[in-house]
Amino acid sequence: MPEIKVTPLGAGQDVGRSCILVSIAGKNVMLDCGMHMGYNDDRRFPDFSYITQNGRLTDFLDCVIISHFHLDHCGALPYFSEMVGYDGPIYMTHPTKAICPILLEDYRKITVDKKGETNFFTSQMIKDCMKKVVAVHLHQTVQVDEELEIKAYYAGHVLGAAMFQIKVGCESVVYTGDYNMTPDRHLGAAWVDKCRPDLLITESTYATTIRDSKRCRERDFLKKVHETVERGGKVLIPVFALGRAQELCILLETFWERMNLKAPIYFSTGLTEKANHYYKLFITWTNQKIRKTFVQRNMFEFKHIKAFDRAFADNPGPMVVFATPGMLHAGQSLQIFRKWAGNEKNMVIMPGYCVQGTVGHKILSGQRKLEMEGRQILEVKMQVEYMSFSAHADAKGIMQLIRQAEPRNVLLVHGEAKKMEFLRQKIEQEFHVSCFMPANGETTTILTNPCIPVDISLGLLKRETPVPDAKKPKLMHGSLLMKDNSFRLVSPEQALKELGLAEHQLRFTCRVHIQDPRKEHETGLRVYNHLKGILKDYSVQHLPDGSITVESILIQATAHSEDQGTKVLLVSWTYQDEELGSYLTSLLKKGLPQGTP
Amino acid sequence: MTRECAALLPGVCAALADPRQPGLDDTCLEKLLDWFRSLTWFDPTVELVQDNPSLTELITSVLALPDPSPSIVSFTLQLAGILASSESRFQHLQQEKLLGRLFGREGPRGSAVWEDASVRSAWLKGVHSMVHHQPALPFLCSTGSMDVIFTLQGDPSLFVASAASQLLVHMLTFSLESETSKALSAKDCDWPACAQMIVKHIQESLQSSSASHVEQSLKLLSSLFGSCFGSCYAAWTEVLWLDIAKQIESFLLEETVQAQPVLANLLLNVARSPVLCGTEGSFWALVTSALERLTPVQAGPLAVGLLKLCKCPQDVRIQALTVLLQPMDCILRALFFFGPLGLLDESVSDPVTVESLLSSKTSCAGLLCQTLAHLEKLLSLKHLKVDLPCVSLLRSLMTILQFCNGSLSPPSPLGSTISRNLINCFRVQKSALDVLAALSEKKGEFIFAFLTKTILQFCPICFPLFQVLKKTFQATSKWLVHLQGLPSNSQQQQTEKILEGVFLVLQKRLCSPCWEVRDSSLEFLTAMVKCLRDQNEFRQCLLSSEVLRLTENLLEDPESYVRASAVTASHLSQASIIAKLQEILSTDSEGFPRRAVISIFTKWLREGCTGRLEDTEQFVSRVIQTVEHDLDWEVRLGGLELVEVFCSQAICQLSQCPYAPVSSAVTSSTPQKELLQVFCRAKLFGFLFGSLCDCDKPVGQRACDVLVGLRGHFYPMSTLENPQEVEDSPAGRGIAWLQRTLRQGSLAQNLPTDGGDGVDFQDPESMMLALGAIDLLELHDELNKSSDHVEESPQSLLQDILATVGTIEDNEVDCY
Repeated sequence: MPEIKVTPLGAGQDVGRSCILVSIAGKNVMLDCGMHMGYNDDRRFPDFSYITQNGRLTDFLDCVIISHFHLDHCGALPYFSEMVGYDGPIYMTHPTKAICPILLEDYRKITVDKKGETNFFTSQMIKDCMKKVVAVHLHQTVQVDEELEIKAYYAGHVLGAAMFQIKVGCESVVYTGDYNMTPDRHLGAAWVDKCRPDLLITESTYATTIRDSKRCRERDFLKKVHETVERGGKVLIPVFALGRAQELCILLETFWERMNLKAPIYFSTGLTEKANHYYKLFITWTNQKIRKTFVQRNMFEFKHIKAFDRAFADNPGPMVVFATPGMLHAGQSLQIFRKWAGNEKNMVIMPGYCVQGTVGHKILSGQRKLEMEGRQILEVKMQVEYMSFSAHADAKGIMQLIRQAEPRNVLLVHGEAKKMEFLRQKIEQEFHVSCFMPANGETTTILTNPCIPVDISLGLLKRETPVPDAKKPKLMHGSLLMKDNSFRLVSPEQALKELGLAEHQLRFTCRVHIQDPRKEHETGLRVYNHLKGILKDYSVQHLPDGSITVESILIQATAHSEDQGTKVLLVSWTYQDEELGSYLTSLLKKGLPQGTP
Repeated sequence: MTRECAALLPGVCAALADPRQPGLDDTCLEKLLDWFRSLTWFDPTVELVQDNPSLTELITSVLALPDPSPSIVSFTLQLAGILASSESRFQHLQQEKLLGRLFGREGPRGSAVWEDASVRSAWLKGVHSMVHHQPALPFLCSTGSMDVIFTLQGDPSLFVASAASQLLVHMLTFSLESETSKALSAKDCDWPACAQMIVKHIQESLQSSSASHVEQSLKLLSSLFGSCFGSCYAAWTEVLWLDIAKQIESFLLEETVQAQPVLANLLLNVARSPVLCGTEGSFWALVTSALERLTPVQAGPLAVGLLKLCKCPQDVRIQALTVLLQPMDCILRALFFFGPLGLLDESVSDPVTVESLLSSKTSCAGLLCQTLAHLEKLLSLKHLKVDLPCVSLLRSLMTILQFCNGSLSPPSPLGSTISRNLINCFRVQKSALDVLAALSEKKGEFIFAFLTKTILQFCPICFPLFQVLKKTFQATSKWLVHLQGLPSNSQQQQTEKILEGVFLVLQKRLCSPCWEVRDSSLEFLTAMVKCLRDQNEFRQCLLSSEVLRLTENLLEDPESYVRASAVTASHLSQASIIAKLQEILSTDSEGFPRRAVISIFTKWLREGCTGRLEDTEQFVSRVIQTVEHDLDWEVRLGGLELVEVFCSQAICQLSQCPYAPVSSAVTSSTPQKELLQVFCRAKLFGFLFGSLCDCDKPVGQRACDVLVGLRGHFYPMSTLENPQEVEDSPAGRGIAWLQRTLRQGSLAQNLPTDGGDGVDFQDPESMMLALGAIDLLELHDELNKSSDHVEESPQSLLQDILATVGTIEDNEVDCY
């Protein structure tokens, strides 16, 4: 029985770093290659040594697919391709390919800042890795090799995020990556067609949550920024170079315009320009509203947001600053934080999750006296806010996607075990499909029942009268030709012709002993008369050489070598007359009735 | 453990054991275990557990929880294992009756949490940490733990199965090697009970009818012999090998066991280990039979491993090489109907299997890729004890490449089948080009004969796949290196012909619509320039081609990676593009091109291409002013590197004898004064002191390095022992301010570089004062710490855990 095997190396019952191995119809695919930002050592990368115990990775894996540019989905890629030694194809969408190196470069800077960081990739490695990437378009079927094909679907989540369908023959898997089923300010909702995959691998971050509309969170964010600025305070928003930053920039830009605000907004990194350039370039990936208004005004051309200079931090008066890196790891965002932390009028807004070991994590857990370098104590008087803008499908969204794709099995990744368990039961109850949730390192095996398409030759079809209805099942006989990776049902004659084979007749033979002391030809005659009497509807003939035929069945009478009183009847028949042949044999075995002439 | 940590620990332990507290970020628990590991590593005393009773209380509380979460059980198991890693702490925990309840039958093994793979994995890790002293072994044997470990070898979780196997290796090695008093070489009845159990288990599994049991045991043996590698010879390994050798042989002969790859790996690990002593003959016979019986794909890794060994007999080596060369031989033979044109002597090659593998579409590419990867590995070895038939290998490679691009379809049936299988096969193409590149290392007379053919045949062909092109470039540039060493003039023409061909291809590629192709072409050009720049023919060909003009055009490429590579590639014609590069440095919107420019400038400076000192001074000054406010930290870092080179050159030029010691602190000698003036005029100090306060640490570190170097030049060591007194003068006040500011923590500051607060960074006297007064070495130490050394400290971790559990009510999972 064919099977699909799935082994998560990351994202199995956790939200750390995604890396899922899928084995389908002899092909091995790696889905995402993420990094865990909470570790400084090798634990940040998935343990690739489990992929294959013997042989090279490049020989084992047929391709790597990256769903989107977040580091927990692509952060280990340069390590995997340039340091571990994978040299095969890598697929991602065009925006992901453009944006990925910016984020990798951004994170590399943090690791350079941390002494003792080992085994991390260089800029050259990021570039070399990106050169190996094959970029794909939405809904474009990409042939990885002769059997394996992949296709990207829109996933919402972030710019360029995609779900991927992986197909070999008639078996298929859909991997969602991270996705969002409700459109937001700059992105649309995820969509996949009713592709009925054997398996849907879906994220389950908000497996048990029904999320409020993102609009509420956005309103809240604007209110807080506005209030702070109004009272003359400064707002610091630590971000990574790309992603959330652009989202919030659009928010502030339109708000500033509407409210006619004058306080300056700065973006602290030189990377913005390139980032905004990409958002402009990939306008087709954004939502309908942005696309429609694009001709009048590109949302990503910011009038109010200007580049930041270090000296501005000391300027008096209100301002809003977006600064990297995102979790107050080090660098500019931390430097500004240290300057502004002591003033209660100021505010820091953390727009995303912070790992342990960062200043961001500390202030979010409520710590207000921080030890800084040189044993100095920094008292945090500024307001600290956390706002989650992460755009994942909630429980309702996940169910909606399953309804949309109609998979035969579901597998949950990228979520917490407890919440997954709840969702798993819900899915099994509602859709009556099996739902799995393997932990990292555990392999889930799914049996598939592939239907193999077979072409039927026109000649064979025409033989059937009336011509069979395509919608109704019909039994047909013919020869199955397996040639050039395809199956065809043809007539036996055509099969012989195509394969250049000669026809052979298969005959069954049988010896029947009967007691008859007469000469052979007399016995033959008696058999003939007997059969003629019984088989009235058949053509029974007595041939000049003494043998008898009934249709294709041949009967010859010979003498027994040792016993003169016994005659041996040799019966032989073809495959087509098998029934008649065995009937005759059983008839003859009863012997000739007395008085047969 | 510091006092602060000891004070925080009870609170943390109480919080961890409290089931009402929400779950912690899993990294916190891992890092907590890291900390305990580091605490116990060098300290076997019982003090840690005695002085911190909260640790045992934590274990007790977790054991008492009615429905503990898998994560806290996992943590506790690992913690207990780490604590029990020394005998004294083990005994302490035993007295408290904790270990049996954790690792024994009544522990998590029998409860519902055992279903969770993380708990099983943690149990194994805990046991692994514990097995570092003798009393641990009888404890484990008596609690039925051995059977659990044996079962976990076949766990559905890869991580658990692998951890179980590693644990068994560790236990066997530990139990045998720690009992040094007994003679273990004789028979296993003398062996410790634990070792006997493991060996018995291995033997039973090997004879089991279950394929998975056999495979598990083979894997276990493989890692066991693999782990002996490099350690001193232990007699017991030989005893063990003798015990199982027959069984292994039977697996090879029967071919009923589907574990050939593991079998090959085991043989290789045995061959590598110091086990073989006195059993060599029979072992090598077994290896030889394995090479014969395993399929080429299975035997490949074994063969290449054997060829790397020093102690392998020559006949086995030759056979191993034959295994690797057979597919290449088959390719050559497939070209022709008749004739001894293969790569191997016909008597040693049995081509049937290989031929059938190459004839099949599904196995052909796989076999060739594997073979080529192995050959690449062999070619990279410095000491290969067999001769590789390089000429034939090259011919075979060329044939494969021609099959791949469809330029060759031989008349023989086998040849045409293989060529059909390989056409457009990028995987094979890439691997073949890698071998081609590696083959260039094997210098020999044959090289030139094939060089022309190789390059000219390959470069002009249109490759649809970028990676293939890149590999071609890599291979070509490796071969081109040898052009330099060509002997006679008669070959000069040939060289020119080759180069013309190469440049023609390059011209085309530089105009490619794919940025990847343009970029790799530029990288290829840079590599060529680097190795052939001194060769006349090369320079002439380069100058007469369009390549330089195209490269200059690429300085304005829309893709920043390409612009950066164009900068790097174009430095050959420096004089004409210096203005252009300066423009890029000040205007390019992206970091990569600017980084490339600054590194080229530094390179020129280092090579002395910028002319007289006065010109250089102006040049450096201009560059500094441009990069000082650059948004990219690597550009600023590059600027500091330029300054460093400039300083050392200026010192060399202006000091008559650069190595002579400077006689006094406040030197009045002209060269020193002049030097300071040069540095001040070039606006060096403003940049250097400003960089000390850069928000990106590497920049501050480098600036500090440069300043420390300068101080070493201007002040002899003896004067630095007493810190310089800052005079009460206008200049002195400024420097005192600078001193204070830097002392307050450089990273929090923005240092005004325009002379604010009375510091005149262009005044030689002030700067001389600053160099002497500021404690640069202390600053250096401070800057050299990791940016997160405070946040990553154990104390900070404990504070974080306390803060998290104390404040956040519902720790909603979130991610980016």
